[in-house]
Amino acid sequence: MATVQVSEAEKVYILHGIRDDLRVDGRGCEDYRHMEVETDVVSNTDGSAKVTLGHTAVLVGIKAEIGKPRPMIANEGYLEFFVDWWVSANATPEFEGRGGEELGTELSNTLYKVFNNQHSLDLKSLCISPGEHCWVLYVDVLLLQCDGNLYDAISVAIKAALFNTKIPRVHISTDEEGGKEIELSDDPYDCMRLDVENVPCIVTLCKIGHRHVVDATLLEKACSVASLIISVTHRGIITCSRKVGRGSLDPESICEMIEAGKRVGKALHPPLMKLLQQEESLGKKRQKVGFLC
Amino acid sequence: MLKSKTFVKKTRSGGVMKVVREHYLRDDIWCGSEVCTECKQDSTVLQKDACIESSLCPYPHYLVPDTNVVLHQIDVLEDPVIRNVIILQTVLQEVRHRSAPVYKRLKDIIHEQGRHFYTFTNEHHRETFIEREPGESANDRNDRAIRVAAKWYSQHLKTPESGPDGLKVVLLTNDQSNKLKAEETGLAVYKFDEYIKSLTGNPELVDCLALSNDDKNEITSSKVLFPEHLPLSKVQAGIKSGSFLQGTFRASRDNYLEATVFVQGEGEDSTEVLIQGLQNLNRAVHQDVVAVQLLPKNQWVAPSSVVLQDDGAAKDDNVDEDEEEKVLTGPLTETARRATGKVVGIIKRNWRPFCGMLNVSQIKESTRHLFTPADRRIPRIRIETRQASTLAGQRIMVAIDGWPKDSRYPNGHFVRSLGGAGEKDTEEEVLLLEHDVPHQVFSQAVLSFLPKTPWSITPEDMAQRQDLRHLTVCSVDPPGCTDIDDALHCRELENGKLEVGVHIADVSHFIRPGNALDKEAANRGTTVYLCGKRIDMVPELLSSNLCSLRSNVERFAFSCIWEMNHKAEILKTRFTKSVINSKASLTYAEAQMRIDDANKNDDITKSLRGLNKLAKILKRKRIENGALTLSSLEVRFHIDSETHDPIDLQTKELMETNSMVEEFMLLANISVAQKIYDEFPESALLRKHPAPPPSNYDILIKAAKSKNVMIHTDSAKALADSLDVAKVDGFQYFNTLLRILATRCMMQAVYFCSGMDSDFHHYGLASPIYTHFTSPIRRYADIIVHRLLAVAIGADSTYPDLMDKHKQSALCNNLNYRHKMSQYAQRASVAFHTQLFFKTRGIINEEGFVLFVRKNAIIVLIPKFGLEGTVFFNSKDKASPSLVFDEEGPSLKVEQHTFHIFDQVKVTISLDDSNIQHQKIRMALTEPVIPGVSVPAPEAEPQAKKQKLDR
Repeated sequence: MATVQVSEAEKVYILHGIRDDLRVDGRGCEDYRHMEVETDVVSNTDGSAKVTLGHTAVLVGIKAEIGKPRPMIANEGYLEFFVDWWVSANATPEFEGRGGEELGTELSNTLYKVFNNQHSLDLKSLCISPGEHCWVLYVDVLLLQCDGNLYDAISVAIKAALFNTKIPRVHISTDEEGGKEIELSDDPYDCMRLDVENVPCIVTLCKIGHRHVVDATLLEKACSVASLIISVTHRGIITCSRKVGRGSLDPESICEMIEAGKRVGKALHPPLMKLLQQEESLGKKRQKVGFLC
Repeated sequence: MLKSKTFVKKTRSGGVMKVVREHYLRDDIWCGSEVCTECKQDSTVLQKDACIESSLCPYPHYLVPDTNVVLHQIDVLEDPVIRNVIILQTVLQEVRHRSAPVYKRLKDIIHEQGRHFYTFTNEHHRETFIEREPGESANDRNDRAIRVAAKWYSQHLKTPESGPDGLKVVLLTNDQSNKLKAEETGLAVYKFDEYIKSLTGNPELVDCLALSNDDKNEITSSKVLFPEHLPLSKVQAGIKSGSFLQGTFRASRDNYLEATVFVQGEGEDSTEVLIQGLQNLNRAVHQDVVAVQLLPKNQWVAPSSVVLQDDGAAKDDNVDEDEEEKVLTGPLTETARRATGKVVGIIKRNWRPFCGMLNVSQIKESTRHLFTPADRRIPRIRIETRQASTLAGQRIMVAIDGWPKDSRYPNGHFVRSLGGAGEKDTEEEVLLLEHDVPHQVFSQAVLSFLPKTPWSITPEDMAQRQDLRHLTVCSVDPPGCTDIDDALHCRELENGKLEVGVHIADVSHFIRPGNALDKEAANRGTTVYLCGKRIDMVPELLSSNLCSLRSNVERFAFSCIWEMNHKAEILKTRFTKSVINSKASLTYAEAQMRIDDANKNDDITKSLRGLNKLAKILKRKRIENGALTLSSLEVRFHIDSETHDPIDLQTKELMETNSMVEEFMLLANISVAQKIYDEFPESALLRKHPAPPPSNYDILIKAAKSKNVMIHTDSAKALADSLDVAKVDGFQYFNTLLRILATRCMMQAVYFCSGMDSDFHHYGLASPIYTHFTSPIRRYADIIVHRLLAVAIGADSTYPDLMDKHKQSALCNNLNYRHKMSQYAQRASVAFHTQLFFKTRGIINEEGFVLFVRKNAIIVLIPKFGLEGTVFFNSKDKASPSLVFDEEGPSLKVEQHTFHIFDQVKVTISLDDSNIQHQKIRMALTEPVIPGVSVPAPEAEPQAKKQKLDR
């Protein structure tokens, strides 16, 4: 896996900075970079959001389609994740060659774990008729540019896109023979919204030296041996945690990192929800920024 | 500026798809008004002084109709009085979506320069485009778009110089809530009927108004006469589950209480469902697509063979139907019962404007009258008019607006008058309209594709074609023919063999695929020949000049040239595009005279003799193969050159030369059919004549049996042979009558695409494959065959539609329909001229033969005039004689006398114009004499009258 090259002197500089809670770009250890969120950016999806975090940029589009519920859980809909990249070299050097596929699968596997469960999202509301029809939400993640901390950016974008998702309302009509027919309402404004309150955000904590940081840039990541991914709901409940990277973490620092993650994650939700609601209330008057900024 | 339109739709697989379309708004859409100084338009459509005498709007104004006004009141909008109308794009799109015929009519009006109709693309105009609001239905949004556009116009036209009496915009709508909302925004808005009634200069327009929903209620009584139609969703569910059947409703010509519904099944598996009685017919009108439910088997009935016309006085809605319907029920034999059903819902109405006449109401002041359509399969229509006295005695057109369940008759409105009944032009117009024959003059767009005149052959043309100008080609046609599409030649080759050429006008050279001219010809399908009138398929420049193979001019031809031996066996066949120069255009009689005249020995005559000799051999071979010679009486009218009235009529006479030309045409058609099928097995356009089902021959066999003649119908050959030997001593006409009957047993020959069918056989001609190649001037099928053949021999390039079997197949359907209709129109024209002929003749006593026997009537054929008529034995005003009908004979016993098929009778023929609705030939029996039934033979014809006519 190709990464950025960091010289020994640079490494030392970064390590020493972090030790003093002062990172290269002036942040503290638990600070995020500047984050921008915009929803409803792709008109032919049912919900979409674009998130930039420093130089990292991801786009998430959600398409709702009617499918068959999974056999074991007849009364729930489900989510499908696909991670793709814009132009591989532009997004992240890690995506060069076959590495892209691996990373894509790794990312989407994590996303399944984090989002596709009844605790994160009310999957029962996606059921149209038990055992026969349900909504399947296809979540397409497009990585536009990568400057570290993909997981956090993606999770914020997914939450925003789910918030933005409008699923057309359907009615099931039954004819005399018991055959079921799906009928659409002809009003495009007649649609169902998802409750995203419990949707978690992912916080990635990078162990650098003896300390850990959130929202590591690519340079910082190059100095780290292992990181911990945890997903945190707005109540501070951890729904999932995972260790990535080659190095090992000692139990003590894991506990510290989880505590820090909880704190950071919990604080991430309220401003995000506030922002989304604000944007929503602007309605059609909102000037769209899109991709030309 | 970019906007996007978003909507969700259901996919075929049951999923849901979100569709997003980009929508661009512009600021360079002009208003189209002469008054406007702001818009940078090159030309204007709407006039400055848009004045119409209206008591509601005394100021000059433009009209903005909403969608429903256009859809329902198109008849009024078509009136030339209505000018300066703004058709919004929103309206145009909705109309297009909801009714294709109305859309076409609207487009026609818009294209008419003098009408000043302007299409304003409000949906793309920056200031008039609106987006759908949450909670707003699509219709509400469109109404709002119309209001916004109207508002925009009224502000836009308010120029300083226009002043207070300046141009205004008047919105026309029949929707109450829309009207209110428009008034709130300060627009001038009226209901359509309000506005039309205010047109003081044109009171007659009021009659054209279609009835709106609230008007309809006044007319009808409260009693519910018909069962409710099921909603479409239920009908569709029923059809899916098989409890209902979907089919085309075909009313019976003879009996207004009976109809059949033709249910198209998989492949050949089609059925017919019988419907009897007003309740079961349930307001379906001829040609509607309906859903029927089958009745339980014990209620199945047999089709009645009574002739029943709904010709009583205007019946009240509360008349007891039992009385009307009891005539239907007769003794039922189990075998005669057929699948019977009732109409439960209408899937698609197929209403068009109908021609007919007004039954003026007996109450003088009444404005409601019944209208009787010319087509007996269409029910009578109730219309409202104030000009009944003017319209009585005229042929008029009426459109149906609706048929409420508590009304005996459908409600409609007056469309236009065609002229006085019985007048030649009017009647011709009626029969063209009734048979859906496109007969408008060719549009400018069509004419623009004609070659420039004077036309001449260029050297490039010559290079691509074989020069056959040196050949002694001549054409043989009926007298007065100007669209000559075939010419022939025959010459002896040096090797002793004969070379025979059939040269067909090369119409496909002039009509290129896909252009307006081609589309028009494809739609018309065929030239229609009426008595003394021809409705051309292609413009006259082509049909009578450039394509017509006239003598002594150079013309393009598509030639089929055979090398034959003297036994008329084909040795070589060759097709080529050519240039010919016909040496003579002869009539059949002239050609016959040349052949018979032993003194003539010029090239043309020699060529004709060679052809004639070969034709005889060909004909013999064909008959040996089992081709049928059938017979139908064709009449020719001698038309007075000044009055254009028929002064005499005679049945067509067939000469040897007729069959000579026919023989070679058949040969050319078969050769070409083989060639194009070999080359394009999937997309060749062919013609087939299916063998009739054996039951069709029942009547023929029964009829022949009554004269002790056996007819074998196992094969075409057997039929042809047994017809040949069928003779009865002392009854010369018997054989012809049999052949006429046999013709009636046949199926209709049809065009089809070879890729869509497997049965190619032509029964009548006993040919395994057949097509039409020889008359491209008057048949569109031949043009397609020409194109196929041209591609096959590499003389022309192909195009996608030519090879698309589905498109070909759709084209064939249209051609078959047009051919059928043109035949009907032709027959109707002959019938009308026969009436004109008898009008001046008084009562004539003539000999005839019984052709069919019905329950209450016999159908008599008068060979002298080729005329068929019905002699009724029961009439309303007197007691009917005792009638005993025997189905097996079939025979009908009237009092003491029994009628069989082929009985010789004498009848009087007269024109019955007492009933101005339908003038018809009336026949009454004079011989055999049956007391109380037959009428006395008329005196010898008044001599004076006859002399005057003969002049």
